[in-house]
Formats: sequence, structure tokens, C-alpha cells
Amino acid sequence: MKRRVVLVDDHSLFLAGVRAELGDAVEIVGEAGSVTDAVPLIKELDPDVVLLDVHLADGTGDTIINAVSPERPGVRFLALSVSDAAEDVISVIRAGARGYVTKTISGDELAAAIDRVAAGDAVFSPRLAGFVLDAFRAGEHVGGDAEVDELTPREREVLQLIARGYMYKEIAARLSISVKTVESHVSSVLRKLQLSTRHELTRWATQHRLV
Amino acid sequence: MPLPAFAPRAEGRVIAGVCAGIAQALDVDVTLVRLVFALLALAGGAGILLYLALWAYATWKAKWLWAALVLAAGVLLLHAVGLSERAVAGIALVAVGLAFAWRDGGKFRLDTPLSYGGLAVAAAGAVLLLGGEGGTTALLAPGAVAGALLLIAGPWLWRLALERDAERDARIRTEERSEVAARVHDSVLQTLALIQRHSSEPRRVAALARRQERELRGWLYEDRPLGDDEASLVAALSAVAADVEELHGVRVELASAGDCAIDDESGALVLAAREAMTNAAKFSGADEIDVYAEVSGDAISVFVRDRGSGFDRSAVPTDRRGLTESIERRLERAGGWAAVLTAPGEGTEVELHLPRRQA
Repeated sequence: MKRRVVLVDDHSLFLAGVRAELGDAVEIVGEAGSVTDAVPLIKELDPDVVLLDVHLADGTGDTIINAVSPERPGVRFLALSVSDAAEDVISVIRAGARGYVTKTISGDELAAAIDRVAAGDAVFSPRLAGFVLDAFRAGEHVGGDAEVDELTPREREVLQLIARGYMYKEIAARLSISVKTVESHVSSVLRKLQLSTRHELTRWATQHRLV
Repeated sequence: MPLPAFAPRAEGRVIAGVCAGIAQALDVDVTLVRLVFALLALAGGAGILLYLALWAYATWKAKWLWAALVLAAGVLLLHAVGLSERAVAGIALVAVGLAFAWRDGGKFRLDTPLSYGGLAVAAAGAVLLLGGEGGTTALLAPGAVAGALLLIAGPWLWRLALERDAERDARIRTEERSEVAARVHDSVLQTLALIQRHSSEPRRVAALARRQERELRGWLYEDRPLGDDEASLVAALSAVAADVEELHGVRVELASAGDCAIDDESGALVLAAREAMTNAAKFSGADEIDVYAEVSGDAISVFVRDRGSGFDRSAVPTDRRGLTESIERRLERAGGWAAVLTAPGEGTEVELHLPRRQA
């Protein structure tokens, strides 16, 4: 069954491009260009996945997530953006987005990412993976909750391969594990990213841009 | 400076939302606003009238009803703080008079009798106010004259200041706009012209668009997308990636974790990475190359990967020195090593590894 998708972006040219790139891979049920339009639209349509621009003319993506999620917990969000301060990307992810990809992603990869997010898994762009590795650097941690503030060696390996440009299937082959296991490692990293109190997350994020 | 827009808010209201609206317009705590209204309500009910006045104003935009209610509230308030009836009446007359004289947002209209009438009423009010206090008149007179002058000239001076500010803002905006226009002309418009001319060559168009994107980013955000400063490893890799993109019309996606300063050894690593990217761009047939740099406490690793054709190393002629000489030997001399993972049809990944000298 095709995934039902809502696009939220204030650039109509870009919306048209995504529509064309995705083609028949998903069913685009609605489009919105602002926070004000998006919130009621998503609540009404109750789609599988919302492709969300981080910055909109009248607010940021996390506002939409915070407004929709309590009423429509089944809707998954995938942030899709062209140029963002890491800080903003982190706040969208902390609001509950299941991943972040850049607008230069190919149509096929985007469709795969939508599928993955709809299934409850997580999607990281290579650069976001690099950022997470940097922020969760081993051996620099003081105090806090190791459960959410440290990455396991396996999670580290998976993230490193994502940063190197490997797709989930390739990672699975490389590490001799199943794709499902790769997905669960990435989801676990996403959870840590959403819950961790590591100060590197905010410090690093204010200094860098995820392009 | 216009007053902040005010509208009653349904959200968080107790009666009609007037207090909540004021709190939002002035960006203060709503409890504070409610407290002020409550205190004013104690002053002979002035707060209640004022509340009604604001509500009436926002609901019906009825100026006269609003003005009358505010006046009544003011009278009650002044009376409550202990002024004599005569003084209150005087002040009320002055207020009404000035409201007539300065109506329509501070435009003193010499051609309307209403303005003169307003001034006359205000003057009568002043006489009433000052005349009644007997002995204190002499003391109050200079202050009253100064106050009257201020009231008459004030709105005019205020408007003058506003106009000057607006003029300065407009000038700054014009300057900004011409700077943006110059930039856009020099870069974006030129690129668009080039793209139109080369529209039949997709790779060239992509490379042009990519270069323009990078330039525009650098200008708009005034920071490098990656790398903390010019002399850092990631910044150098980013520059190399940009060169390769431009020369060969491929996309290079750079990700990184950590960064360090460039020295001779890591400089050699960057050159080797450049060679690896160039090889991928020229021979693999892939249109995207992924580069990942990881800097840890004791080593730097760079991975250059493509999903292209791959190759059989034993089949590469020995006179093709790129891989051996420019990548492997170069890194060995710098104290590191390089590994190539490839097979025909499976793409290629070059791993460059360099131990860091202990500082």
C-alpha cells in the first residue's frame, strides 16, 4: 500500500519538484505552505508521513509537530531541508521528527526514507550522522545517564557507515547483520538524540550548520 | 513608534479578554495588568469604566463612546485620589479641549473652528484649575504655562522625530537593497545566464548551480558550512570537494565528525583525498561521491566512496600512477596508510588513515 504523505514547505517550486521526483512512489494527499495551514490540514488528513521543512515563513517545523502529535500520534514526521543551523534540526528532532534529510536527496532515496519513517524507523543524513558522532564522542562524558548519553560501539559503527554514505542494505551486508537490526540501531540513536542532556548537543549545534 | 496593536484575546480570558490582550500587546504578565485594573476599580470604579472603554473600543471601534468612558474613568480616578471637584473639572476640560485641538492623530488644523474651540475649552479648564487654589496660583503658573506649551507643541515634535526615524530607516533599507542587488547581479544573475546558455549540458548546469549555491551560502550565513576556520582539516576538505565538483561535474557530499588544524601530514592527507575524489569522479561513472572525515584523539580517518563501476586492481596498468603514487605513497610518507576496497560493479571506497602526533 502506498504511503499517504503531506508536504509542508513554503517554496511552491520546491513542492512541485518533490512531487515530480516522488512520482508514483507515494500518494501525496495534501500540501501546505505555512504553520497555520499545515496544522489543521494534517489533523484532518491524518497521513502516514509529513515531509516537513524546518523553517517556514510563520514559524519552525517543531511548532507543527508539537501542535499535531498529541491529537494524531500516528503521524510521523521527516524533516527535509536545504540549509539549517544544527540547533534547529536538533529541536525538530527533539520535538519528535523521525529523521532529517537534505533537499538534494534523490527521489528514490527520499521514497525509501519515507517508507522507513512510516514504519517507525529513523533516517539520518550522512552529515547528521557525523554530527551525532561528534556530539556523542566517546570518553568525554561526565555524569548524566549513560543509558541515553552514550552510544554503544555497534551504534557508533552503524552511524559511521551512514556518514560514509552507505545505505541500510549496504551497512547490513558490511556488518553481517540484518537490515532490521540496522534500523533498530538507528532508532535507538534517534531516541538518545531526543532524550540526551549532553551539553555537546547544544554547544555544537549553535556553532554549526547542517547543509 | 505606533502603539502595539491591541485586541482582546479569547485565550486565557476571564471576562472579555481585555487584560489578556493588553498583556500580550505590551508583553507583560497578565496578572500585573489585572492587578492594575483591580486597583483602578477601587478608585471610585475607574478601572471598571476603563475596562468597558477598552472593550467597547476593540469591539465596536466606537471612538466617541470610548473617549467618553475614558474621560469618566479619569474623572473618577482623580476624584478618588483626593483632588477637589473644581480641579477635577478643570483637568477634564483641559483634556477634552486638547482632544478636540489635536484630534485625528496630532494634526492641528488651523482651518477648522473645532480646533480653536478645543483650545478655548482647554484654556478655560486651565483657568478653572488654577484659579481655585488661591495662594498657590503664583507658584503653579509657570509650570502650567510650560505644561500647556508642551501639550500643544508635543505632538508636533513627536511626529517630527518619527518622520526623521522613518527617513533614516528608509535610507538604510535602500543601501541594503542596492548591496544585495549588486551581489545578486555579480553572482546569481551571471550564473543563471550561463545556465541558460548551457541548458543542453546537464552536468555543467548542475556544477554551475552547485557553485552558485556554495557562494550564496557563504555570503548569506557568513560562516563555513563545515570546518571551524580556514586552516582546519574539514574546511580544506570542503574546498577540495568544491574544486572536484566544479572540475568534473559530480556532487560531493561531505560529512564530518570532529576537526583539527592543518599541518604538513594532514595536508598530505587532504591532497590524497583530493586524488581519490578525482579518481572517483573521472573513472567510476557515479555522479555522487560521499566523503566522510573523522578526527579522534589519536587518528584522522577520511573515507571517499562512490557507487560507480569499481575496478579490478590487478588489471590497472602499472603506469597509471594516480592510486599508488598520489594516494598510497603520499600517505606512507606522512606516516599513515591507505586502503582501497573495490570490485568491478561494486563501487569503490578509499580509506585514508593518519595517526596524529601527540601534542
